[in-house]
Amino acid sequence: MTSIPTLETQHLILRAPCADDFEALAEFMASDRAKGAGGPANRSDAWKGLAMVIGHWNLRGYGLWHADEKSTGKLVGRFGFWNPEGWLGRELGWMVFEGFEGKNYAYEASAFLLDYAYNTLKWDSLISTIAPDNTRSITLAKRLGAQYQQDWVSPSGKASVIYRHPAPEVVQ
Amino acid sequence: MTPIPTLETDRLILRAPVVADFDAMAAFLAEERSSGVGGPMNRAAAWRVFATDFGHWHIRGYGMFAVEEKSSCKTAGMVGFWYPDGWPEVELGWTAYKGFEGKSIAYAAAKRVRQHAYDDLGWGALISIILPDNTRSIALAEQLGAKFERDWVSPGGTDAVIYRHPAPEAIK
Repeated sequence: MTSIPTLETQHLILRAPCADDFEALAEFMASDRAKGAGGPANRSDAWKGLAMVIGHWNLRGYGLWHADEKSTGKLVGRFGFWNPEGWLGRELGWMVFEGFEGKNYAYEASAFLLDYAYNTLKWDSLISTIAPDNTRSITLAKRLGAQYQQDWVSPSGKASVIYRHPAPEVVQ
Repeated sequence: MTPIPTLETDRLILRAPVVADFDAMAAFLAEERSSGVGGPMNRAAAWRVFATDFGHWHIRGYGMFAVEEKSSCKTAGMVGFWYPDGWPEVELGWTAYKGFEGKSIAYAAAKRVRQHAYDDLGWGALISIILPDNTRSIALAEQLGAKFERDWVSPGGTDAVIYRHPAPEAIK
């Protein structure tokens, strides 16, 4: 199976999702804030969601990291690459748990992973798929330099907007 | 991640699922027949189920095996253990893909993984959770010696029946 690298940013450790993350995840997925991440979902579906995120690594060789805050060791969110069947391309995704917003973590992790995708993995494009009313996420996408590309309906019928990140040569 | 063992019967190999198994699974999950495992569903949703199977292995250390028919080298179905959050106990589950029904494949595979659970893993009990109208699956559970125990409603609100497999000492 794929081994998941551990990455480090200024305030965060990005590491493999693991079974012990489930309680924090179940809490997030039960909240309205989980709308952009397939929620709100009950505990059982949240568990399947965690298993799916791990399985994405097996199937694609890349995926989503769970991020611990260095100063507290607490799980603050989930960042990384998402490309299930039916997606338009490799997505750069982010999700910050309750209580850890407003600390710039999503920007910090996403800017780092954009660089990682282009310079370490040698990818040449990334999109972000965002719920149209998720203004905070759209603001973050724009701050990362991404531009609105198109409206899109996911394979499960969810309306969303696609933002395209600047190409590697533009970021450099 | 958890190494997945390979088991064998005279006609079958039960092994870790691999990326190449996806098409057969997606075809099965597109059929009406897949209602017992949450189908029918589109290819994108099937991919998420497939990824969840991988993550289940990682989180629990056990999970669903791909069943390969030795003579054709084709994936004939999935058999194994299923225990997401909210499940009452570890379930022994099975699916036989189109063209592989009526060949006693699910029976032989289920019997083999049950033996693995009792003899190698040292488990003392197994149940199977079946839709009340899935007469073929109920017939297979009974063929395996399992007995109706009670009605049950899944965390997702689906009505099901629980069959309990004979204890290890009863099938020695």
